[in-house]
Parts: sequence; structure tokens; C-alpha cells
Amino acid sequence: MSISFKVNGQVRSLDVDADTPLLWALRDELGLKGTKFGCGAGLCGACTVLFDGSPIRSCSTSLSQVEGHDITTIEGITPAEGLHPLQAAWSEHNVPQCGYCQSGQIMSALALLRENPSPSDDDIDAAMTGNICRCGTYPRIREAIKAAAEARKTSDASVSGGDGRAVS
Amino acid sequence: MKPISRRGFLKVTMTSGGALAVGFTLPGCSTFKTGFDEKEQSWTPNAWLQVDRQGAVQFTLDRVEMGQGTYTGLTTLAAEELDVDPETIDVVFAPVADPYKNPLYKLQITGGSTSMRSSWLQIREAGAGARALLVAAAARVWQVDPSNCMTRDGIVSDSNGQRSLSYGQLVELAAKEKLPDPLPLKDPADFRYIGHFKHRLDAHAKVTGTAVYGIDSELPDLTYASLLRPPMVGGKIGSVDDSAARAMSGVIDIVQTRHGVAVVAEKYWQAYKARQALKVSWNQEDAVLKSTADVFAEYAKAADKDAGSTKRDDGDYDEARQDADRQLEVTYEQPFLAHATMEPMNCTARLTEGGMEIWAPTQAPDLGRIAAARDTGLSPDDVTVHTTFIGGGFGRRLSQDYIGEAAAICWQVKRPVKLVWSREDDMQHDVYRPAMLHRLRATLKKGELTGWDHQITGPDLMDWYARDAAPAQYPWTPKFMWGALARIGILGEGLIAPVDTSAYEGAVEYPYAVPNVVVRHTKADAGIPVSYWRSVGHSHNAFAVETFMDEVAHALEKDPYEFRAHLLRKDPRRLAVLQKAADMAGWGKPLPKGHAQGIAVHRSFETYVAEVVEASIEFGEVKLHKVFCAVDCGRAVNPDIVRMQMESGIIFGLTAALYGEIDFKDGVVQQSNFQNYRMLRMDTAPRIEVAIIESEADPTGVGEPGVPPSLPALGNALFQLTGKRQRRLPFKLEV
Ligand code: FES
Ligand code: FES
Repeated sequence: MSISFKVNGQVRSLDVDADTPLLWALRDELGLKGTKFGCGAGLCGACTVLFDGSPIRSCSTSLSQVEGHDITTIEGITPAEGLHPLQAAWSEHNVPQCGYCQSGQIMSALALLRENPSPSDDDIDAAMTGNICRCGTYPRIREAIKAAAEARKTSDASVSGGDGRAVS
Repeated sequence: MKPISRRGFLKVTMTSGGALAVGFTLPGCSTFKTGFDEKEQSWTPNAWLQVDRQGAVQFTLDRVEMGQGTYTGLTTLAAEELDVDPETIDVVFAPVADPYKNPLYKLQITGGSTSMRSSWLQIREAGAGARALLVAAAARVWQVDPSNCMTRDGIVSDSNGQRSLSYGQLVELAAKEKLPDPLPLKDPADFRYIGHFKHRLDAHAKVTGTAVYGIDSELPDLTYASLLRPPMVGGKIGSVDDSAARAMSGVIDIVQTRHGVAVVAEKYWQAYKARQALKVSWNQEDAVLKSTADVFAEYAKAADKDAGSTKRDDGDYDEARQDADRQLEVTYEQPFLAHATMEPMNCTARLTEGGMEIWAPTQAPDLGRIAAARDTGLSPDDVTVHTTFIGGGFGRRLSQDYIGEAAAICWQVKRPVKLVWSREDDMQHDVYRPAMLHRLRATLKKGELTGWDHQITGPDLMDWYARDAAPAQYPWTPKFMWGALARIGILGEGLIAPVDTSAYEGAVEYPYAVPNVVVRHTKADAGIPVSYWRSVGHSHNAFAVETFMDEVAHALEKDPYEFRAHLLRKDPRRLAVLQKAADMAGWGKPLPKGHAQGIAVHRSFETYVAEVVEASIEFGEVKLHKVFCAVDCGRAVNPDIVRMQMESGIIFGLTAALYGEIDFKDGVVQQSNFQNYRMLRMDTAPRIEVAIIESEADPTGVGEPGVPPSLPALGNALFQLTGKRQRRLPFKLEV
């Protein structure tokens, strides 16, 4: 039985077991390996993607649940040229160390900024607490989010992501 | 400029592709004890810097990137001397081959914060050598003296700026030039990148999700494996009923290896699900069915019975004891700890004509070959290991168990296979930071600390590690001798393995000016697999030393900072970081209500770090507010990477202090995933301020030294808050 959903703006149909977590379908069927496996239990956030614009843990979301929905991954927000403003802020603040958690961190931060263009420290805590970074990059993630929010304020132009929505 | 005559350390060649290649050796380092002959390796280049005809620069990196910034740091060194922008250098991870061995360990290993320390001079020389050849070639073309030529961004120009030639144009001529002696290294005052270059070269790949980690390895016709291992330490397969699992969708095969029962399927999820359907009984004949309490009871018994081997003995502790007005005696217990790297263990393997190819996130690809050979009919020479980006190492990936497993599975199913550990596998089948028992005694007289006696009880890591490492050092020996070699590795201290200081490092260098000091190690091994964990012995010894120093200060009614500073008068670098951290924290000044500070200082991997942790207790939980950190790591090649590493180490250490505990019950690990092996997160991590002490000294390690002081600094703050001394990790508040 084939399952169809939108990934980064494109409709994809997959013929795999319906209970397969979205994470493995993205990685192994669609070759979107930027989304990472960290715990398989919704505890670390490494697998975070956007589901109709809201952050979800793709390791704990089965394919049957995404049928007909809209998924955005880290690949979907990376522009053909250059970087998404959040990615640029990440790079500017030297956030990544091993880098493994960072796709998930960026997707969570993206969802936060869409809801809340100028988040307070508490807002950042609340939105980012589901994402573990074993390398301890939290202080820099916080700074990068604030910088991206600030940059957004000073430039009026809103940037469009792969799913066609304003993203920061 | 200090003249040095070291050109004999560089080898210049043309590659078959027409590139100028400067090969160089990374020779042994006198501060690090190794048991091998340094002469033997002196003429084989083990790293390469290449410039091709288009002027493209390639640097073959013999270390593996795991997040500690090696990639950027080493490239910056080469770029500086060659006078090219670090961003333009193409970095290639070295495939495993003899030319790429870490000089200190002789094997190809990234660990021990050695990368920058051992490579600082050598890589700069290679860059300087290549540059000198290019300049000499240009000078010959223009018939001028080389001293009249300048370089910038890959171009040589003459002094009046009239003529210029690109490196690419000069490559062929340069290969015919002779290296000057001495090699003209840049004056640090002229550095353009070292100390100035801010960016990490790998940032782009890591923010776009395009960096390829081991788990992202892809092969045609790939299958996936999930391995069920004996739940108890040392268990073996008893009987297996795999009929239900075999009937499940996608299952290709189910095989038994010496590690467990592996399900191989078309998809990872199918393999993982079918694994749950396996019915396996375990043979516990050789199992280690201990609980954590048994381990500590064993340690205590060993410590009672055996005073241990003396690692340091200054003055006369017994005399100090007889002379004392007062004595203190404490016991500290520290638990087993898991590494919990963010990327779970994984390995991809495929058979090739007569051999095997492996892709793995490993810190020691050399040992990976041995591991694969051991579990197949192959010899190490038949195995090629490709390294990848690594999603966190922290010492875990010095062990190659996951490579052996994947090789064993691939060998049986004869298909390309990717083995992926679940997080539960990772936590329950780690090689752990050993649990350790510390007993400390102090003698006090007339308000002074006069004697210090530290007994450390726990295993030697090398006993465990030598089993993997020994054959790699004698690669010509037949496989049946490997067991024996491992035992020689254990017995012949210094013969194969470096002297194992892991149990007492960070304790034996007790830095305070106290006349009578004894440090002893009582060896006790519980039979639970242990290994290197970020900062190794320093991770537990710094806690013991710096917590007891605090206890002594309080017993003497002295300020813990002043007390330390006074006893460090003759240790200027340590004193400087201590003072700096105290200054930053406003030590002694009034704090917000309910807050308290604790301080600690420690040197590891030749880097000095002092930290002040400010905490409070809110709703019955420890709240971390701020950490002030001062570090002296010699010259900071990339200051922001130094800062990052301190932040990272502090959060790693405080995570262990508050939550880290792997608990055994009848040989079975009780923790399974991040809900019961917790991590600091965005809302619980402290704010961190880092100051780097200006220094002209050679750079030293930064990946690990941030960890050790953080645990005692927090414990000392909690004592200020509660009046109760935390003598067991992780810290638990009384309810
Ligand atoms: S892998 Fe999905 S939350 Fe950890
Ligand atoms: S950067 Fe390594 S886990 Fe976050």
C-alpha cells in the first residue's frame, strides 16, 4: 500500500510498511539524511521536522500519520544559494560542534520564530528544551536565535522556506 | 625568529597528478611516555600538504573530526605558513594506512586532546616548507633573491609588486628547489589566521544537514542490521527461537555472532521490529551478575586490604600524622558513566574482492581494522576503513566493538550491511567510565594543611584497551597470538602500551604546596567493561582533589579561594587562572539571595582551567545560573574554538554532576534512554563566560580540560548552599 505526503513542497509516494517511522522513510527512502536518529523515543529532538509547520519528532511519527500532510526538513529550508537566515546565524555564532543535533535544533528554532518573532529567554527555553545537544552548544544556540530574530526585525523582507511559508 | 634546522623532517615530491607534495612526520613528543622506538619512524612521512597546478591546496588530515575543532585548528596552521586563506584549503580525511599514525600513540587515534599539541610545529613547518619552495622557484624565474619575494593568498610577488606568479604556476619548478635550512617560520606577530581566524570550516555542512556521518553511509544494495546482545555483562547466547522473527516483513536473515543475535532486513525498521520478536535465552555461566553496590563493596574491601602502589610520596605523611592537631578523612564514590554520544554507534560494511570495506565513525580506524579482522577470516591488511564525520566521540569511539559486530554480520550474510545501535543499545552496552572509590586523609596543624594522602581504588583502563590495541602494534603476528599479545600488553608495562596513568592522573600531580603528600592506586577491577571518557582519570580525580581541598579549607575556616591561592604561590599558571576566574565571578562579593558559588582549578592535558559555578536551589532542584571559566591553553590558535570547548566541557561535566549514573542490577544496566540518563538541556544549562589567558607557550589541548573542574566547583557551591557535603556523584539533594 502506498502512502503519499508532501516533503519540502513535493508530493512523494512511498511503498513501505505503514508503521515505519517518518524518520527512516525520510532518511532511507527519500535520501534526506539531514534529519538524524538520536533516541528513537521522542526524547532528544535530533529527528525534528515540521509537520504542517509545527515541529514534530519524526522518530515517533509513523508514516500512516503523515499521509496527506506537509513535511519540511532541513534540506527544505536550505536555499539553492547561500544559507537560510537561521543557518547563517548558526554559522556566524559557531554553533555546531559535532553537529549531529543541529538539524533538529534549527528546525525547532524555525518553528519558534515563526510563532514568536522576538522570543524571550523563557520562550527559547520552552521551545528548545526538547532538543538535546551532547556537545553543550546551548549558549550559542540561544545567541543565534536571538540574532536571527534581531536580523528579522531590522530587515522587513520575510524569507521564504521550501514549503512556501514565511520562515523567520 | 628562532632558527631551527628541521628540514630533514620534510619530504618533497611530485604526485602522479602533478601536484607539489610536502610530506612530513609527526614525531613523538617527549612529554608523553611511549614504549616504542622513535628512530624507527623518523623517515616515513605521515601527513601531506599538496598544491596542484591549479593552485588548489589539499591537506590530508590524519585526525578525525568529532566536534572538537581539529579540522579547523590544524588547517589554520597549514594555511598560516603557506599564506593561503584557510577557507580555500580542501581537507581530506586520511584513509587508514601506515603513513597516518598519531605520533604519540603510534596508532591512528584521535584522543587525549593531542591533536593540536603534537602537530603545532610540524604542520607549520610543512606549510613554511612548501611556501619556501614556491618562493624559491619564483625567485629563480625572476633572477632575484628569495628575500625579495612576498606571498599572499596563493600568489608570489616581487618586492616592488611588479611581477607575480600564482602557486599553481610555480608548482612544477618548486618541486626542483631545495628546502632552505633553517625553515623560515612566521613571526607570531605576523600571524593572519592563527589567533584570528574565527570560523569553523565545517559549519556550512553542519547547518545544512549535508555533513556525512557514519550513520549516513550509503551503498547500493544495502541491508540493515539490528543486534540483540546479552543483557547482562558477559552473558552468551543460550538458545534462540527466531521463527516468528524470520516470518516478519523484510527479514533477510538472522545470524548469530559472538556478540549476539543479528536480524538483517531490507529496512532498518523491519530489522528493529523483528529483533523484538526474537526469543533468546542467555547462558550466564561467565556472566558478571553484579550490582553497583557490590562493585563499591569490592572496592572498599580491596582498599582495606591493599594500600595500593605508591605513585607519589613526598615528605613523611606518617610523621605529619603523629604531629597533627587534627585529621580529616573522607570517602568519595563516583559512578559508572555512559558516553551517550548523540550519534549512536553504527557501522557499514561490505565485502570486496578478497577483503572488506568499512565506513564507521571511529576515533581509531587502525583498531577498527583489527576489530574487523578478528571477527572475520580476514587479516587487517584486507580491511579498509573509511572514516566519516563523527556525531560525538568523548572517548567512546576509541573502542571498536561496533565495527567488529558489523564485520561479523557482513561476513555471514555476504551483503552490504549497515548496523545501527538503538539508543538503548548504546546506553546498556557502552564501555563505561569506571566507577571509582576515593579515600582521602589530611593532617592539619596550627591552621595549616600539612599532609595529604589520597588512595584511589578502581581499574586500569589499559587492561581493557590493550585487548583491542595490542595486535595493532604488532601487525605481523598471526591471529592466534592476539590473546597472548593482549596479556603482554597488560604485563609488560611500557612495552606495548604507554604506561597506564588513567586511574591516578590528575591526582598524582597534586599541585598545592603541602610538605607531605602520598598518592596511591589500589587496583580493583569489577569485570565491567570500561574505557576512556572525556578527560579520563581527571574526570574523577579532579573531583576528589578539589572537593577535599574545599573540605580542608572549611575545616580550617579559610576562604576556599584564598586557601588555594596561598598554596599555589609557586605555580603561576595555575594561580593565574584561579585568580582570573575568581575575579570574573566577583568572588566574595554579595550574590543574589539564595545563590552561592563554588570554585575549583585543575590542569589536564597541559591546559589549566579554573571554574566558578554559581547555583541556587529552586523547587527542590539545583538551578545552575552561571559558570565563570578561565583557561590557559598556551597560544589559542582559534580563540572561539577554545571558548566553545570550554562551554562544551562545562556542560558535559555538570551533566554528569547532576544526573550521570549508570547503575547495574545483577549485571544489567538499569538506564536505557534519555529519560533516565538525563542531560542538561536548554532550560537547565547555565550561562557561561570564558576568559582565555594570553600566552606565548605552545598550544595545548582544549577538548577535555573544561570538564574536570566543573564537578567539584558545583559540589562546592552546593555545600555553601546546604551546609551538607556531597560525597557521592551524581549530587542528590535531601528531600
Ligand atoms: S530521535 Fe526522535 S526525538 Fe530522539
Ligand atoms: S553539536 Fe554535537 S550534539 Fe549538538
